[in-house]
Amino acid sequence: MVDTAFIVEVIIIWIKVVVVALVLFSMPLALTWIERKVAGHIQVRLGPFRVGPHGILQAFADMVKMLFKEDVIPDRADRLLFKIAPLLMMVPVFAIFVAIPFGDKVTLPFTDRELTLYISDMNVGIIYVLAVSGLAVYGVIFGGWASNSKYALLGGLRSSAQMISYEVVMTFAAVGVVMLANSLSLVDIVRSQSGGFWHWNILYLPVGPVWFFIFFIAGLAELNRIPFDLPEDEGTLAAGYHVEYSGMRFAFFMLGEYVAMVSISALAVVLFFGGWDDPLGPFAFGIPPILWFVAKVMVFIYIFMWIRFTLPRYRYDQLMTIGWKVLIPISMANVLVTGFMRI
Amino acid sequence: MLLSYLPVLMMIGFVTFLGVAVLFVSSLLRPQNPYGSKLSPWECGMEPVGDADIGHFRVHFFIIAILFIIFDVETLFLFPWAVILADKSISTLAFIEMFIFIGILAVGLIYAWGKGALDWL
Amino acid sequence: MIFTIKDLLSIIPELIIAGSACVLLLVDLLISKERKACMAVLSILSVIAAGVASYWLLGADFMGAKSFAGMFELDGFSTFFKFVFYTATVLSILLSFHYVKEEDINLGEYYVLMLFSLSGMMVLASGADLLSIYVGLELMSLPIYVLAGFLQNDVRSNEGAMKYVILGAFSSGILLYGISMVYGLTGTTELSGVAAALSDSSVHVPALSIAIVMMVAGFAFKVAGVPFHMWAPDAYEGAPTPITGFMSAGPKAAAFAVMLRVFMEGLQPAYEQWMVMVGVVAVASMAYGNFVAISQKNIKRMLAYSSIGHAGYALLGVMAGTEEGIASVMFYMAVYVFMNLGAFGIIIMMRKGGQRGELIEEYTGLARSHRGVALLMLIFLFSLAGIPPTAGFMGKFYIFMALIHRGMVGLAIFAVLMSAVAAYFYIRIVMLMYMREPAGEFEFARSKGIYYALFITTVGTVLLGICPGYLVKLAEMASVIM
Repeated sequence: MVDTAFIVEVIIIWIKVVVVALVLFSMPLALTWIERKVAGHIQVRLGPFRVGPHGILQAFADMVKMLFKEDVIPDRADRLLFKIAPLLMMVPVFAIFVAIPFGDKVTLPFTDRELTLYISDMNVGIIYVLAVSGLAVYGVIFGGWASNSKYALLGGLRSSAQMISYEVVMTFAAVGVVMLANSLSLVDIVRSQSGGFWHWNILYLPVGPVWFFIFFIAGLAELNRIPFDLPEDEGTLAAGYHVEYSGMRFAFFMLGEYVAMVSISALAVVLFFGGWDDPLGPFAFGIPPILWFVAKVMVFIYIFMWIRFTLPRYRYDQLMTIGWKVLIPISMANVLVTGFMRI
Repeated sequence: MLLSYLPVLMMIGFVTFLGVAVLFVSSLLRPQNPYGSKLSPWECGMEPVGDADIGHFRVHFFIIAILFIIFDVETLFLFPWAVILADKSISTLAFIEMFIFIGILAVGLIYAWGKGALDWL
Repeated sequence: MIFTIKDLLSIIPELIIAGSACVLLLVDLLISKERKACMAVLSILSVIAAGVASYWLLGADFMGAKSFAGMFELDGFSTFFKFVFYTATVLSILLSFHYVKEEDINLGEYYVLMLFSLSGMMVLASGADLLSIYVGLELMSLPIYVLAGFLQNDVRSNEGAMKYVILGAFSSGILLYGISMVYGLTGTTELSGVAAALSDSSVHVPALSIAIVMMVAGFAFKVAGVPFHMWAPDAYEGAPTPITGFMSAGPKAAAFAVMLRVFMEGLQPAYEQWMVMVGVVAVASMAYGNFVAISQKNIKRMLAYSSIGHAGYALLGVMAGTEEGIASVMFYMAVYVFMNLGAFGIIIMMRKGGQRGELIEEYTGLARSHRGVALLMLIFLFSLAGIPPTAGFMGKFYIFMALIHRGMVGLAIFAVLMSAVAAYFYIRIVMLMYMREPAGEFEFARSKGIYYALFITTVGTVLLGICPGYLVKLAEMASVIM
């Protein structure tokens, strides 16, 4: 026997899942346009301008173009892996958002039903997020290997080595946050920071900013974004692991990367910037928490774009040096400092 | 418990469905016109030489993979410790223990560093 | 489960060894390749420090107590074995000084891995819980796997190490299955708890027999008992010779220590069941090891088979299941360290330049030109064969006594017969050394380390043969504590 309340719960979860997935699925449309506009303005030009007012329909035009592109599979490729690699890259990134809290409970208008603005409050949320985000590396390495192209293979290898190296760093940063919140649940982590911006983990001096710095750099590297976009280093590798991809499969890689950028931004907000918490704390004037969350995430997305068009790229050996010889020792020391402050 | 983890399956299922559906729509619309030189791997426009998937690459990638396993597992050991750290009855002892644990981890890192496992040039 | 200072004090020797291994790993980065001998000296010093600590602990008031919530037991039994391990490690390091230069494996990790393995053996000897025993076993084995393959450019070394790793992992898995079944049947992994649960005969279900079979198999692998011996000849032959000596002395003694502890303390109520299995392995080992050794041409391989045979004798002591049996195994292991490492010491001496010193033929006529070396080899081989008045004879003697007191006269007679078989292939080498003309000139690796090691082993072999009383008394005292 399954009771009605359970079925209602499941239906609500389904709705949430579908809404989140659809929003994320269409988000890259907006993000590509924004990114190109930001790029244009940073480089003192206008960016896309032809399709629609201020080029706002450019992304839709791109999408239509992608849909109509031929799906070229190289004759030497491992066809099965080549075909599923983009999905393997894309799906885990979406799965991260199951655990990310967008807001606290709200009461639905016209009913007295309470609705949580997160899909699931897992008691091991942060470990889940790290584990699932680690899965994306399979898509990258399968895509690089299955193409049977030297550039793709090198790009895939570089990318996977980079992602696993910085995953260690990111795990350390997550440990730091868990030490401050004493919980693995992302919702609890946000709640532990509530009550104004001076309660946020970023301002837990002196270790908070260090943890954020570590997390942010690891995030940049996990996302393969400039200044750490070595896997896609045009100068030496053409386009890296997706050099052989075209059409929608290529679009899925891009989609995965953009959604991953959103996920890292959301994580940064949840872990260090109080999630949906109102920065003004007791002096808040009624802006809904979820808007705060979205605003904070947007700021991070903008920062990622800003960095992309401002900084040059590191060399690969520099990248690995930063990860293993700088960030990991700092993290290990910082774990001890944080632990000392918390006991 | 079920309601915590069921959404993961839902999300994976739904996104996979979306992806496959888009690919299906695309397969109805797109042209299909393969020929030899289009299907050859991209190698700066030259004839591709040999296979790439036989796995000839630097042994450093293996070393990084091994180091990753070690460090990732050991950082996971930090999580339970980080959660109970605020418990005053155990915190000092736990901190000393973790000091030793991280010390051993540091020995490994310094050793790998000294042996040049972290150098790429 | 909060531990106290007392718990920490009781593991001071282990802490010294593991800590100095970690420190030496870092020190090694600073030492140039020509001066790696420092590493050996430092390793020996840390083993001596651990020995002093162990000696100091003998007088501590928590001697005989369990620590870490029953995971670790500090008693006379474990201390006796720890001293056996210290001796084996120091002797192996002394023998390595020259050899590592000769083979160009002059790396600091060599000594560090030996220390890590030593710390594993110590945990193993003191383990009072199946889990700490398992951790100790792995800590002991993993460095040994690496050391067995330390001659990177030697195909035989690689082959031996590979066989050792794969079979070792397999046997660890089997042992772990046995442990998990024991846990399932008794609800605890602590040995005393296991014994208490097993004293209720309703637990004696067929699953217990399966668990015991698996545990016997797992431990028999570590002591290289037939039919779990397949790795031994290849690993012994391929490994660097000092490591072969180390493998046959240290880890083997540790495996016997843990076997005695598990079977005599934890599984004592199921004595009838494991006694048969251990007995079968013992008889098979003695017969197979000694007969196959006869046909070997490589002396390291021959010693590998002989060590399988010796494992058979020692298993008889385990099988006796009495305190006298325990004491006889302990004494045998101590004796074995001296005589076996002594024999390996001579082999290492023979390794110089183009002369490998591994084929039995190479020893032809050794006595004509080098009486001293041949005499030492004679002593060690006589001891291995069990000829009085050497220590090897006394070791076998005590085991046979334990068996006879237990009423297992038939087994004792069989073991004596097998000793006669063994005498054949040991004495064949003696014959080659003394009765034949040498084919060419002999070269010897001469270094102080080898001299010290040979001195210690000779004195040990002879002294324990002439007046074994003191050590036997120590072993008996230690076995009573358990």
